[in-house]
Amino acid sequence: MKHQLVDGVLYFYFYGDLDNLTVCNLKQICIDLIEKYQPKTVKLDFEEVTFVDSTGIGFVLARYKQLLKMHSELIICNLSKQNMALFRMSGIFQIMKYERNGVKL
Amino acid sequence: MNEMTLIFKSCLENEAFARTSATAFLMPLNPNVEELMEIKTILAEAVVNCMIHGYEGSEDGNITVHIRYEGNVVDICVRDEGCGIEDIDLAMQPLYTTKEHLERSGMGMTIMATFADEFHVTSTPGKGTAISIKKILHDTHEDSR
Repeated sequence: MKHQLVDGVLYFYFYGDLDNLTVCNLKQICIDLIEKYQPKTVKLDFEEVTFVDSTGIGFVLARYKQLLKMHSELIICNLSKQNMALFRMSGIFQIMKYERNGVKL
Repeated sequence: MNEMTLIFKSCLENEAFARTSATAFLMPLNPNVEELMEIKTILAEAVVNCMIHGYEGSEDGNITVHIRYEGNVVDICVRDEGCGIEDIDLAMQPLYTTKEHLERSGMGMTIMATFADEFHVTSTPGKGTAISIKKILHDTHEDSR
């Protein structure tokens, strides 16, 4: 995972298989970076993600809740067709925005 | 008919092993990208459930994955000897989770049920849980025509 702060927006870029073990390893790093920068917007970029499951959805929902407490927003970016199908199933887009492309590293 | 059984410890790193082994075993059926993703996701959800719910994070439990296929019909069974599920109907509810503090989404069962052609859960509290899935892949004979 990589991240960057551009104009007050904190971007996270995920790579490869975002499975249970990977999420366990990334979770605290993301929590801490959000706490450190206090961004108004966080964008999660899934362009390079080859696999994601319900663990990934749980992680996204938890970051959404973390940001809600700070009155900040979360935007999901660049899901593949397969990953989009999985995210849709959870109804996550009823509460979160989605966009394509955006700022890259 | 072809079949295989994997038995492994409930350590987190074995989830990737289980899903990649399952897809490797099914390669002769020539699954398409979508089917592969669905099978990988089913395996991930099932195995993670055994680890974090069945064995409640203990890495000492055994998880059994049994896969068989005949023609293009695949049967997958994932089993643990963990704590079991008291109320299966409740566990099947979308977004229901007992592990919100672990940032679980409560979507695992729903995802498996959606991606499977048939999906069954059997469980005995104190003894363990087994999930059985039937997945019908596209007819590979169609590809060679």
